[in-house]
Amino acid sequence: MTRKIEKSNPNRQRLRSELPRRSFLQTALAGGAVASTAYLSLTRDLVAKESGPIVIGHQCELTGGFSSWGYWHDKCAKAAATLINEGGGIAGRKLEVPVVDTESNPAAGARKLRSLIQRSRARFVVGSVHSGIMLASIPIATELKTPYFSAGEATEATGSRGSRYSFRTGTDTYALAAAGAPWAFKNLGKNWTMIFPDYAWGHSHHQEHRKLIESMGGKVNDPIAVPLGTKDLVPYLAKIPEETEVLFSVFFGALSVAFYTQSKAMKLDEKMKMYSVSGTIEAIHPKAINGAAEGVFFLENFPRPLEYKDDEHHKKFIEMMNIDPVHAKENGSDRVMAKSHAWQSYENFFVLKKAIEASGWQRKKDTPGAIEALEGLEMENSLAHPQGAKLLRGEDHSGMIDCYMSQVVNDKFVVKRRIPRAEMEALLPPRYDFRKQKL
Amino acid sequence: MKARIDRTVLLAVLALLIVAPWLLQSMELEFWLDILAEVLIWSLFAASVNILFGYAGLLSFGQALFFGMGMFGVAIGIAKLGLGFWPALGLGMAVAVGTAAVAGALAVRLTWHYFAIITVVFSLIFYFIALSAKPLTGGDDGTSFSMPAMLEVGDFELSLTDQTVQYFFILSVVGAAYFLKFLIVKSPYGMALMAVRENDTRASLIGLNVYFLRWTAFVIAGGFAGLAGCLFALFGRYASATYMFYHVSGEGVVWTIIGGAGTLFGPVVGTALLIVVREELSNMWEHYPILVGLVVILTVIFAPKGLMGFWNALLDRLTQPPADRAAGGEPHEPREEAAAVQVRGKDRP
Repeated sequence: MTRKIEKSNPNRQRLRSELPRRSFLQTALAGGAVASTAYLSLTRDLVAKESGPIVIGHQCELTGGFSSWGYWHDKCAKAAATLINEGGGIAGRKLEVPVVDTESNPAAGARKLRSLIQRSRARFVVGSVHSGIMLASIPIATELKTPYFSAGEATEATGSRGSRYSFRTGTDTYALAAAGAPWAFKNLGKNWTMIFPDYAWGHSHHQEHRKLIESMGGKVNDPIAVPLGTKDLVPYLAKIPEETEVLFSVFFGALSVAFYTQSKAMKLDEKMKMYSVSGTIEAIHPKAINGAAEGVFFLENFPRPLEYKDDEHHKKFIEMMNIDPVHAKENGSDRVMAKSHAWQSYENFFVLKKAIEASGWQRKKDTPGAIEALEGLEMENSLAHPQGAKLLRGEDHSGMIDCYMSQVVNDKFVVKRRIPRAEMEALLPPRYDFRKQKL
Repeated sequence: MKARIDRTVLLAVLALLIVAPWLLQSMELEFWLDILAEVLIWSLFAASVNILFGYAGLLSFGQALFFGMGMFGVAIGIAKLGLGFWPALGLGMAVAVGTAAVAGALAVRLTWHYFAIITVVFSLIFYFIALSAKPLTGGDDGTSFSMPAMLEVGDFELSLTDQTVQYFFILSVVGAAYFLKFLIVKSPYGMALMAVRENDTRASLIGLNVYFLRWTAFVIAGGFAGLAGCLFALFGRYASATYMFYHVSGEGVVWTIIGGAGTLFGPVVGTALLIVVREELSNMWEHYPILVGLVVILTVIFAPKGLMGFWNALLDRLTQPPADRAAGGEPHEPREEAAAVQVRGKDRP
């Protein structure tokens, strides 16, 4: 039909004879433009692969049982990313921090770790504070050759279940015992009873503390393991031997509140000294439990009030977190910062920045160099490390940090003694040397 | 015609499953290969619910117990006993099937809500035992392990640490299990099971041993759940008591109902749909289970036989001659229900 029209129409024929020329020019120009664009795009993509953003994933408890902590871990990670990017990023590259919510559940946490590494292309991961999640995550991170920072306290993460890819800048049950038990033994009493829910966290604390207390000549009574799901603790509190001088407790969340409330009601605090670790009162204001924690000693990683580590970096960190400098309570809300743990989700980004820059890391295949840079990394007290100077020990990838023995006095955490990291290290010989593992 | 369409769809899905590693890797979507592997594993778990609920008429909320037993069998075998890949897998299966045999001997004496309750109780008992037995199970921290080689000949090593090997291993095992399920439901034993599901009194009157049939179905279903647990432990390099909690069993029930209880591939469809929904929504909306609940409600109301039942009805409608439909012809009756129809008698409309 077209041909017929063209044959019968001289103008059409002319038009037809002209079209190829015009079309040729148009095509050539368009082709050139497309080719140039494609070349530029390809080149840009190639360059992007070399100098695009560095992705550090954050595996965080935004919902579920640990969400009151997770909120702060998330806030810390975001603050660190903002600060790093404002300062020019990492080795001149922008830092991107995709976040996944573990739902405070090991199954979801492990699944989402894969998502972070494989889908979001995270090359390093700042990991969970939930022990079950971090222990489920370490084998996956190891297999996917991605350095993973735990923030929980299960000693296995940098011990029997650790690997060359597993790190922790904070403390575990082994370190907490080494930091707190000697002072508590000397100042609180020599006859100890430990009470905890019948699961791993409490048992782990019991084992580590028992070794130290007995080695110092103290007596540790039979532990009281409270069955899971218990709400009324009175029958278990009644089992505490009369001769107990120090009652060491390790409860979490609602059960922790129940423990302090019920033990106060039974006036146990008048008969013995009560001692615990910060995890049992993390993100809780002593006032919120009506003074039930009054007089209890807690081992902390980071003092709540500014006055006990009164420096510019701590002050600036408090401002960034938008919390008050005494109780670590968020301005404008009732949230209390999970300060003794959440700092890791802030500092770990700076730890990684330092290792990436020191090793000249460019892409995933350079990860072994970054790991070697992390092993034995020294950090100075700074805005990047407001918790204080620390060492990421080479052998067991564990953070050596200062700790603080505090007591709740008039609803405020009052530091009784700063425990320098050297004191803790003396009782904390490395049990593993991950540097022997191949990269 | 309907059979031909079914076969074509099945072949297309199988072909996609086989080329999935290369297809996804070429698109830099290898993450989805792990999701696919996870769908396969959980669909096997849902198949265990389906055997009991869909074919034997027993609604169990305790399948997570056998899943957990399989998991811990593998994890403890590797991490604590130093077993290799295959012995650990064998241990996981033995523990799961053994537990199912003992639990089933007691549970199948009951039916309906009593049966559902006792399965929940079994699940809870072992959940708390697993949480408390820290030296063995790792307590609430669970037990993680490094993957041993599947096959080692000289320098050659085959291991699940290779994503493609892992995927094909899971696909093969799940495929074999589904084929076994197909053989079971098509066998006289499967027919007898469905007869018991429809009317146990009549089934016993025609000489079927109702207790034995239910017990064997319970053990087979426990074996399927245990196998899924073994695979999941190998997939995640981890076992945790949280997987023994009854809400995990509940998920299996939901996947089965949405996919279509009493159909061969219903559990796969239900599991795939809800896992993809979870994967895409869980990072955007923390309350995504509300959507899952909504899907369940809508399915129960508008597609009581699940998505596979809906698909079958649709195909019947499209392939049946209009004259037959006008005459009110009975839609195509799946063969697996034929025996049951004979026993149902007046129960059938």
